[in-house]
Amino acid sequence: MVRKYIPSVMAALAVLASAGTAQAATQGSLGATSTGSVSISASVPNRVRISGLSDVAFTNADPSLNASNAQNVCVWSNTSTKGYRVTATGSGAANAFTLANASLTVPYTVEWSASSGQTSGTALAVGTPLTGQTSLATNSNCASGPSSSASLIVKIAATDLQTMTAATNYTGTLTLLVAPE
Amino acid sequence: MAPSPPAVVPMTTPSGAAPVRAMRLLLVLAVGLLAAAVAPSPAAAQRVRITKLSDVAFGSLTNLGVDAVRNQSVCVFSQAATRGYHVTATGSAPGGSFALLSGGNQLAYDVQWSPSAGQSSGTQLSPNVTLTGLTSTATQQSCNSGPATSASLIVVLRSTTLSNARAGSYAGTLTLVIGPE
Repeated sequence: MVRKYIPSVMAALAVLASAGTAQAATQGSLGATSTGSVSISASVPNRVRISGLSDVAFTNADPSLNASNAQNVCVWSNTSTKGYRVTATGSGAANAFTLANASLTVPYTVEWSASSGQTSGTALAVGTPLTGQTSLATNSNCASGPSSSASLIVKIAATDLQTMTAATNYTGTLTLLVAPE
Repeated sequence: MAPSPPAVVPMTTPSGAAPVRAMRLLLVLAVGLLAAAVAPSPAAAQRVRITKLSDVAFGSLTNLGVDAVRNQSVCVFSQAATRGYHVTATGSAPGGSFALLSGGNQLAYDVQWSPSAGQSSGTQLSPNVTLTGLTSTATQQSCNSGPATSASLIVVLRSTTLSNARAGSYAGTLTLVIGPE
């Protein structure tokens, strides 16, 4: 009695298993018109992009005041949540956020905001990802939709400016790594 | 007084009616055959067929900065005197547009057609718009003899689309209708 139903059950399972599969190509028959079809499939992986970055120049900074430079950048994420994380590293020793001129160095701080047009944000620590960010960008380089989607803020405290040697150029590189979430 | 013979002798007797009917039938048949021979015969039905279609699988697209192209050679056969045909393509996205779907996200693609096999580019098709003036070299309806294939179907995912696409698995169906010319 049980055996009698096994083929039916297996057939039903086969139908259920095939329900989620893509339709195979169909071939046309000879006729006044002939119709064929193909299934097309593609998979797009998680991707992010940061663009719209500008160099930061503190020129003739007044050492009696904190120096701050904020810029709008474009961060795009194609995940379903449009989420991303950002990790910053400097060009100083152990990737520290420092500018240098030979042996002279001065520290700076980095802040990040997931909104554009901000002059303050969440402070970043060297090499530590800031997670849970969400982008409003709808185009990978913000060519359409919002023209920017995040803010990068670089600051040098007045107390640090006062340690700098006058008329001396301090330079460094800040690297930002964005990853999808 | 002896009875006079009948004035009119019947032309037929019950036993002589059959030959006359047969002659009339033959006459009708002959007239019919003559009419059939003289009247113009209807043209042989022009039939077409499309076969050898394969599903198009782009797989996981790791490099979204370049166009992804998949081409296949198919068999299109036309019984028309000129072997001419036309092709109309329809996608499975709303309005028959050429787009793959992943939930609410769309991934547009291009479709090209060439009346020669082995091509990696061809004439751009628009959804539901017929491309006319094509000629097939196929000599057998499913290309079992003569040329193994006679046309090329090319599907393209543009980098401009891919670089802004949401992550996900996309799928759709492309339907091709062939008609004689």
